[in-house]
Amino acid sequence: MGVVEEHDGWSDVRGMAVRFHLAEGRSTDLVSMTLPVFFAPTPKTFLDFARKARPARCRRETPWEKIKDYLRLQLPMPDPYPGQTERPNEGAIAFANDHFWAQAAVLDASSIGAPVSYVRADYHAVHTFVVTGKEGEKRQVRFTWAPVAGILDTDPLKPPVDAYLQDDLKKRLAHGTERFTLMMQIGEAGDDFEDSTRQWPPHRKRVMMGTLTLDHVPEDQQALCEKLSFNPWHLTPGIDPSGDPVLKIRKDVYAYSSNRRGGIPCPFSGAKG
Amino acid sequence: MSDDGGWLNRYVNTLPERGWFQFLSKYVVVPYWVWREGKPKLPGGPRPSQQPSDSTQRMMNLLMPLKDPSPIGRAKAVMALAQNVDEIYAGLDNVGTVHSARFLLVEDYICMISVYDGDFSNYIRDFIATIGSVFDALMQVVEGGDKLAPCEHNVEAFIDWVRAHDLFQAPDFPIEMFGLQDAQVGKVPNHPPHALQTLPRALILQLHANRNISLGGGYRGYPGFSAAQIRQKLGVGW
Ligand code: HEM
Repeated sequence: MGVVEEHDGWSDVRGMAVRFHLAEGRSTDLVSMTLPVFFAPTPKTFLDFARKARPARCRRETPWEKIKDYLRLQLPMPDPYPGQTERPNEGAIAFANDHFWAQAAVLDASSIGAPVSYVRADYHAVHTFVVTGKEGEKRQVRFTWAPVAGILDTDPLKPPVDAYLQDDLKKRLAHGTERFTLMMQIGEAGDDFEDSTRQWPPHRKRVMMGTLTLDHVPEDQQALCEKLSFNPWHLTPGIDPSGDPVLKIRKDVYAYSSNRRGGIPCPFSGAKG
Repeated sequence: MSDDGGWLNRYVNTLPERGWFQFLSKYVVVPYWVWREGKPKLPGGPRPSQQPSDSTQRMMNLLMPLKDPSPIGRAKAVMALAQNVDEIYAGLDNVGTVHSARFLLVEDYICMISVYDGDFSNYIRDFIATIGSVFDALMQVVEGGDKLAPCEHNVEAFIDWVRAHDLFQAPDFPIEMFGLQDAQVGKVPNHPPHALQTLPRALILQLHANRNISLGGGYRGYPGFSAAQIRQKLGVGW
């Protein structure tokens, strides 16, 4: 939620971007994160949220404040991590208290934890996409990467470790491979197709689309990772974006950002950076 | 802020695990909040929905209080079912909308746990039509059951009774608890929104009203498909 420094052991949302290289030089992207639901239904409301949830000075609740919380049958805010001076939590919660649509994401994000490994978390593409079947039938769907190794977070009662995720991945892949299954949830008339603050019931039809196997971490992290540019609109025929306005704006936002940081251009990088 | 806030902070962080504080919470804090903003009991069973996958693989968690929870009373309940196994199989085959069903004896209850397709009232009606005799035998060992047998003659009353004893299914997404509680007291859900920090209290107060609940609507290995579709696909249908 907008904290620039990386602390692997801190509770936070993580992301995964995947490019599928297809036949005849075509490719398609899937950009996902560990949060299954988004903070706002539109770019404008997201901006409102982001302003309120901008990381701000944080402090530990006093013992008396914590006792008051318990007596109200509420949970106190977690103590800041050692060395943590800012966090978005207080602002995000205050915003969510006035805007119901932000509550699911803020609740999830506040309690999301830190994965013990990048391959022990699930990643959600969050927005709805429209896929076309062999007979031309269209379906509204949402994608999730489910880790074959299972989901596991660090113990929140233990002091957090600052940097372990990269090493963990290198160690794991030096010994073998790690896998994710790509799950596709199929929406039904009456579900929200254009609002990613609204999750679909978990008992919608689910299709297992395939597996992603990770086999190595490239040496040259600059060229083969940091410089890459993904875009949730970089899609192959048969997969289309839904009308979700947040998804819409991400097309230009990612291209703009990629230009600004001198990333390898994505197909939409014509947008000025 | 690299210290841990001193002994008082450390002590306060462990309060919820301390016996004396749990005692205080149980006998003073929770009763106070029940008095101040207690919640009415939420109804059992799946919530109404028009969407196709919502009408497949619905969960029933029926808790029927035993008239006599002693070993003898329990044995009577076991016998009531054991003598009706053929009826149950025949009923199951003919109803056709049941994925699975089972009976459990847990504490002071005999429980029927089942997964079925379609409308709740129709499910119960089908059951009465096909295995009414099993339920009649069951009603002999269940508190308040005398009034309902024979259930063929008390269909509507029986449906209401089952609904009242089917467990409340907590929402799959915790945040939806607020809206269910609002709707139950006739308010527009989440207008105004509730403070996020009060969700633990909302849950505790609901668990005071609904002591036994289903944690969410259940997990399904092949969601969205009916028993009929599966049988047809596997070539074991009719
Ligand atoms: C209004 C909403 C959003 C905005 C404005 C936004 C903005 C951005 C920007 C500017 C970047 C850097 C792009 C680059 O330089 O190449 C980025 C990267 C990323 N975003 Fe978002 N984002 C939004 C929503 C989301 C959502 C909903 C997800 C997950 C489903 C997501 C997942 C990611 C990931 C995984 C990356 C890193 C991609 C990489 O490794 O290159 N974002 N986002």
